[in-house]
Amino acid sequence: MSTAVATQPATRKPRSRSGKRNAAEARAGLLLALPFVVLFTVFTLWPVLQSMFMSFTDTRITDIRTPFAVNFVGLDNYAKALGDPVFRRAALNTGIFVVIGVPLTIVAGLAAAVALDKGITKFRSVFRMGFYTPVITSIVAVAVVWRFLLQPDSGLVNTVLGWVGIDGPNWLGDTRTSLLSLIIMAVWRNFGTGMIIFLAGLQAVPWQLHEAAALDGATSWQRFWHITLPVLRPTMLFVMVTTTIGYLQFFEEPFVMTQGGPLNSTLSASMYTYQQFGFGNYGVAGAMAYLTFLVIVIVTIVQFRLTREK
Amino acid sequence: MKSKSRALVALTAAFAMTAALSACGRDGGDSGDTGDQSDVAPIADGPATGTLEVWAMGAEGEKLPELVKKFQEENPDVTVNVTPVPWESAHDKFTSAIAAGTTPDVAQVGTTWMGEFVGLDALDPTPELIDVDKFFTGGQETTVVDGVSYAVPWYVETRLVYYRTDIAEQAGITEPATDWEGLKEMAKKMQSDGGAEWGISLQPGGTGSWQTVLPLMWSNGGEIVNDDMTEFTFDTEENVEALEYYKSFFDEGIANKSPAQGTTEADFASGKVPMFISGPWMMAAVEAAGGEGFADKYDVMEMPEAESSASFIGGANLAVFKNTENRDAAWKLVDFLTQEETQVEWYDLTTDLPSVQSAWEAEALSSDEKLAKFGSQLENAFAPPSISTWEQIATAFDSQVERVTKTGSDPAEALAAVQQEATSIGMG
Repeated sequence: MSTAVATQPATRKPRSRSGKRNAAEARAGLLLALPFVVLFTVFTLWPVLQSMFMSFTDTRITDIRTPFAVNFVGLDNYAKALGDPVFRRAALNTGIFVVIGVPLTIVAGLAAAVALDKGITKFRSVFRMGFYTPVITSIVAVAVVWRFLLQPDSGLVNTVLGWVGIDGPNWLGDTRTSLLSLIIMAVWRNFGTGMIIFLAGLQAVPWQLHEAAALDGATSWQRFWHITLPVLRPTMLFVMVTTTIGYLQFFEEPFVMTQGGPLNSTLSASMYTYQQFGFGNYGVAGAMAYLTFLVIVIVTIVQFRLTREK
Repeated sequence: MKSKSRALVALTAAFAMTAALSACGRDGGDSGDTGDQSDVAPIADGPATGTLEVWAMGAEGEKLPELVKKFQEENPDVTVNVTPVPWESAHDKFTSAIAAGTTPDVAQVGTTWMGEFVGLDALDPTPELIDVDKFFTGGQETTVVDGVSYAVPWYVETRLVYYRTDIAEQAGITEPATDWEGLKEMAKKMQSDGGAEWGISLQPGGTGSWQTVLPLMWSNGGEIVNDDMTEFTFDTEENVEALEYYKSFFDEGIANKSPAQGTTEADFASGKVPMFISGPWMMAAVEAAGGEGFADKYDVMEMPEAESSASFIGGANLAVFKNTENRDAAWKLVDFLTQEETQVEWYDLTTDLPSVQSAWEAEALSSDEKLAKFGSQLENAFAPPSISTWEQIATAFDSQVERVTKTGSDPAEALAAVQQEATSIGMG
């Protein structure tokens, strides 16, 4: 990329000399880019192509020594994945997770950012660090603590609920609350990222607009709704897209907390795909991975369309 | 420039695709040449020489170097390099090593991986040097794939019923149960008269619940595959009865349908749940949870009988990989590790239970009454058949068991579903 830009001005110079220099520069550019291109091709592009290839074949673990000695099965793997009731359940769980989790994460992130920007004046950096800590903490450690918190008999959550006379459910063991528990945990874990980005976005909101609106008698809620939010639109889009992509691939929470149970109520599409890879069904697993990929692409395009400036 | 490089990329891609495609398609004959154990080349006499790469998992990987010192003393010209591999990543490491042809000479292999690794043509069949009759039958059977043995059982473990003797006494139980009815009665009484919240802790489906349910099926005379390993037989009457029995514990409120994770030891020590079914490692765990003197407050008993008593056999095997360059020395090391004395020494080092039956007569093992019961259960302990798709079938089985225990689905329907799913997955 950068080499192409660098060589452009040279074209205006006399042909004979610039031609040579151009070629030399292009060669140097290619040479400099080569290490990246090679690494990218071998470790990123090739696996992507290989997995796509696998998703159209009947590759199983027993074929790993001869990865090309397999039969083409067309779209069979995709049909098999879509026809699998467990995969459909996993897809539904993932959908619920995204539909509830993404707005909650954005609202929590934005609220924390606004509070840090305006409301909280004392110990601001302490709060900022506190809100961000879950993002950088190891999920395994977090899972242990959350499992303690959500214990049906002795957990903190149910103990507190008990004080106000509510008999708390078995959060992770009940199919009605298990996915919800994981959504809340994911929101808690991820809103810090959104908060940091919103905090940066809030700096870009021109204070003159606020001042002018305040003079015209706008309440702080009106100013937030009509000034802050519109200015934050690009930030919002960014947070929404990255969070959605992350949540569509949601994996760690059920993997460490529930192993997909009880009764597959927390099984996610990524986790089921992972299981299929583990069973050695590379073809079907590849197809599932590409189905997830397809959904991510479509959802992202839709989000860009919906939030485009009019 | 731009269009030229684009054309080049397209050309390369097209070339790569055609190269890939033309190489596609499976070879005609399947490579499933079921050999014969008697065809296996013998192992040369004399001391072992050369270098051996050994992979072992978890605690075994850490302790093994100590044990092989003696082997190196007996065979001064041999060098044994032990590489510890974490259990979590072991399976992936093995499959990628098999694909890349960089397998070790000798390795610890999980019993449920045998079918898969043999399917990948990675393991060397067991030579005559090893006397296979010295092992527990259940353990030896885990090494057999399509009638040929490809490893030796290294250590074994099995499951027994743990129960609180003091609570049993309080509930008026003098003799531990021996049959299905007895076990249920015992659990019920502990709950009603012994002050326990639940009678017994059983896994309501989920990962690994097959390890408790399958033994009940075996106990009832059931099997999950037919004798010549051509068909699954999940939905037989014997198996349905066993699952119905398992289900009744949850239906009658004897076992908790949604227990919290990881509280078995604590609940056992507090008397909340005075029974559970598990392996020998739980002895140390409950004694740690119960504190001093707790060892006298509980005991273990063999799995209850329907037709017979049956339990699950676990543990790990030792296998020699086919592309070893030092086959003779590799099998000699395996032979050394399965000698009676070595196995007893290994028990002292790791508390791994010997797979060699005669090693159980050693003082260290026979003097412990509870441990001795594990030894006698091992004579009636079995493993699922070595088929490469077992993990996937087990997962399907576990999720059906979960539906039965938690939502009260009909056991016959659940097993019919397992049967159908297993048949469509196949044996690999």
